[in-house]
Amino acid sequence: MDPRSLTAIQRDALGEVGSIGAGHAATALSQMLGMPVDIDVPDLQVLSIPEVPTVLGGPENLVGAVYSRLLGDLGGGLLFVLERDAFLQLSDLLRSRAPGTSKSLGAAEEATVTHAASVLLSAYLAAVARLTELSTLPGPPEFAFDMSGAILEGVTTQVGLKAETAILVLTRFSALETSVDAALFYLPDPDSLDVMLGRLGVL
Amino acid sequence: MSSTGDIGGLWAAPDERTVLVSTGEIAVAVHPQRLVTPALGSCIGLTLWDAFTRRGGMAHIMLPSPSETRLGGLADRFASVAVPRLAEAVAGGVPRRRLVAKIAGGSTMFGGDAGMASIGVRNAEAVKHELGQLRIPLLAEDIGGTHARTMELYLDTGLVVVRSYRYGIREL
Repeated sequence: MDPRSLTAIQRDALGEVGSIGAGHAATALSQMLGMPVDIDVPDLQVLSIPEVPTVLGGPENLVGAVYSRLLGDLGGGLLFVLERDAFLQLSDLLRSRAPGTSKSLGAAEEATVTHAASVLLSAYLAAVARLTELSTLPGPPEFAFDMSGAILEGVTTQVGLKAETAILVLTRFSALETSVDAALFYLPDPDSLDVMLGRLGVL
Repeated sequence: MSSTGDIGGLWAAPDERTVLVSTGEIAVAVHPQRLVTPALGSCIGLTLWDAFTRRGGMAHIMLPSPSETRLGGLADRFASVAVPRLAEAVAGGVPRRRLVAKIAGGSTMFGGDAGMASIGVRNAEAVKHELGQLRIPLLAEDIGGTHARTMELYLDTGLVVVRSYRYGIREL
């Protein structure tokens, strides 16, 4: 389905799923950190696949990303993206260090953020699964740290063989004095999007 | 991994002579312009250059052929379409045998996903196959790996500069 052909009600329904999913993710993050985590009402955009590589501050912008392919009733992929500084901030938060401690990306930062992102993606997906009463699982998380254009392009090339739509949830997680801006892309294949909209009762 | 700032100073800023080639597009330019395509992941950046006219072209190719997908979109994102069209556009009536090619990209950004892992390799194979069909010699390549690349073609010398966060600057 072409994103431009979505009706206002369908967009609202997808937006609702997005915010509930982001809420679940914030709860999971707060449990991992053992402290309250606030979440800003996420900005939700429904994009066509060719538009995706142009978001996130230009193609050469350095970002960290975690990708999970969807398994089960829904097909497609989930991509969690952080800009370089946000990536290091999230790593500091997760390792109970003062904000700004991490200056560069090492194996420890990579592993910490990959696993945390995997939990956040699972929490988001759990919300989707519950609202739609479908069984869906995230595949093993894959990590990359490079130009945003190349990362988004790689994912959208693969998913874009079938999918036309990406649902972008821009979210700000805040804990203590740190706030981290993250982008979550949900890239459903067209059949899955129809199934989802059907289950939400807005097809 | 070095920080943005380390390499940042060396990156050439785009100016009025820069011709930007976006994903799935082809473009032709003449010296003193230069062609740039940013952030090649699994995609292939292809340059064709004619030393005599100092004209050149660049393509940013996403997939081997249109049979890969049933969706519409830019036809030039496919190797089987973009390579012959770029050769035609650069040669523009002069003998095609003067053209020389260089390629960069075709990396694997996420290795664990079977479908995604093979796209870069298949793209590179498809572009080489098309160049072979057109008998255009491939002078240099910087392909594979797991990192993103930005590719630039300088049309006075035919120099190709490949930039990446992982390896800095490479000249082809």
